[in-house]
Amino acid sequence: MRTYAMVIDTRTCIGCGDCVVACKSENKVPVGLNRDWVVEATSGRYPNLRTEFRSERCNHCSHATCVLLCPTGASHQWNDSNIVLVDADKCTGCKACIAACPYDARLVMHPEGYIDKCTFCHHRVEKGLDPACVSTCPTHCMHFGLLDDPGSDVSKLLLSRNYKTLMPETGNKPNVFYLV
Amino acid sequence: MTLLYLFRDAFREMLTGSWRYWAWVAVLLLMIALGVWFYAQQVIQGLVVTHMSNQVSWGFYIANFTYLVGIAAAAVMVTIPAYIFHRKDIKDVVLMGETMAIAAVFMAIMFVVVDVGRPDRLWHLIPGIGIFNFPESMLAWDVVVLNGYLLLNMGISFYIISCHYGGCDPKLRHYFPFVIVGIFLAIGIHTVTAFLYSANTGRPFWSNPLLAPRFIASAFCSGPALMILGLQLIRSISNYPVPQSVIKLLAIVMTVSLQITLFLIGVELFTEFYNEGEHAASARYLYLGLNGFDALTPWIWTALLLIGIATFIGSVHVLRNNVFLLNVACVLTVVGVWIEKGMGMVIPAYVPTPIGEIYEYTPSFPEIAVSLGIWGMGLLLFTLLVKAALPIECGNLRRPGVDAPSPICPVSPEKR
Ligand code: SF4
Ligand code: SF4
Repeated sequence: MRTYAMVIDTRTCIGCGDCVVACKSENKVPVGLNRDWVVEATSGRYPNLRTEFRSERCNHCSHATCVLLCPTGASHQWNDSNIVLVDADKCTGCKACIAACPYDARLVMHPEGYIDKCTFCHHRVEKGLDPACVSTCPTHCMHFGLLDDPGSDVSKLLLSRNYKTLMPETGNKPNVFYLV
Repeated sequence: MTLLYLFRDAFREMLTGSWRYWAWVAVLLLMIALGVWFYAQQVIQGLVVTHMSNQVSWGFYIANFTYLVGIAAAAVMVTIPAYIFHRKDIKDVVLMGETMAIAAVFMAIMFVVVDVGRPDRLWHLIPGIGIFNFPESMLAWDVVVLNGYLLLNMGISFYIISCHYGGCDPKLRHYFPFVIVGIFLAIGIHTVTAFLYSANTGRPFWSNPLLAPRFIASAFCSGPALMILGLQLIRSISNYPVPQSVIKLLAIVMTVSLQITLFLIGVELFTEFYNEGEHAASARYLYLGLNGFDALTPWIWTALLLIGIATFIGSVHVLRNNVFLLNVACVLTVVGVWIEKGMGMVIPAYVPTPIGEIYEYTPSFPEIAVSLGIWGMGLLLFTLLVKAALPIECGNLRRPGVDAPSPICPVSPEKR
């Protein structure tokens, strides 16, 4: 299985939300829904405060609980990779995957009656392009590539910098990494 | 041929009755009509007519579903004493327990059907035609065990009824293997339903090994409670002889299960709150309110109070043997468990969401109306089945050409 990963530098992210806009226009996400979002987490105690911006989305988990729990196989992994897609025609809207996702990455109430989510822009990846959010980011804080390739941007960054993933304790093996 | 006669007589029986029977059926039909109307709205407009959202994606429907799976599973509380411990008195009411299970599973399945956003795509769940994600998906397991349990109960009851109707004795060895499978399936449906929740690692409120035992324990409270109420009702309406010893046994089962349930709730409260960590946020929301959001708090405390009173009544010998108080305890149990394991178990897992949002949920009117409709269907199914089965079980109705034995109901069953 090929593992695509996203590495996002929380130190250079300025929280502009361009990734959110890029995704909406690239994937024609309906009004009121977002496949990605920017979290602004404040920690510390005044006056020693620290803000971290995190652009969040589906983590395209290596152990994807949403795919596991889906009763119809509508949620599946694309092309023997970790990219998780939903086959709109097979999705019954049972919402088992929403309960199963520890990252709130799935959107119910798509007007066409299926569960929508981030696709890692697999239609762009196929053509050798980066996902729309990654290409758009004005500070180049987002990186995309194959984890299996030691020469890729993402592999090198993960070797040279400190990073974290969100809620690793769930055992989902998320593939969106945050440089800290 | 016997079958044709049986169906003819059963339908005739269902279509004749006193004005009280028809009034009851009319009320149920009204409930069903209301439900169907609002369900039509939901199909046309989509799940937006409910108050479910991206944040709280399972609500009132799934709460009722969980509760009803418990009611269905509780039928083993009559099959085990009847077939394993050979209690003669219980054997007389075993059919009633199985009928209740049939109606409950039917309602449970209906609640899942109305909960899905695209019922037109449910055929993907049919093995062979669609991709049925079995054995990975817990939901797929649930489909298998629920339908299996439904078919099994229908088969066993039908075999017994048609034997009685045709004037022969049902041979225990013919259906005993199915009874055994049924007992395992009954525990199975509730365990699998619990696993459906426990499998969600991102929701600590569910991801909890105590969930399945708690489900089973509370099922054995509300199931026998409903059975006690139903059996008394049938006895008073139809004169079908329900021995008091049956009621007493069910009352004890209910009481012990209530005690276990309270103990398990206590265990959970201790673990959540003694060293309150992040995993306790949902429990805090449920029991105490989180950041000023506390829509469920009054409900859960009411439920605990009801369950507490019922446990007290059940545990004191004099009180439990008082018919009126026992019935009060049963009603309290039915309502208390419905709140506790319905809304009280489903909703808090979504509050706060894994990324920390707090989104409160209360059912919308269409959701309540559709649910009422499903309860109406279940009650109607139960009423019709009991209506047709009673004269056969009483010995008044036999296939033409077979001599009816002397009826066991003191007076011919007044029409329900
Ligand atoms: S983040 Fe959620 S939706 Fe994405 S793969 Fe993991 S479990 Fe599935
Ligand atoms: S809502 Fe759709 S994608 Fe999600 S588990 Fe159900 S059928 Fe699968």
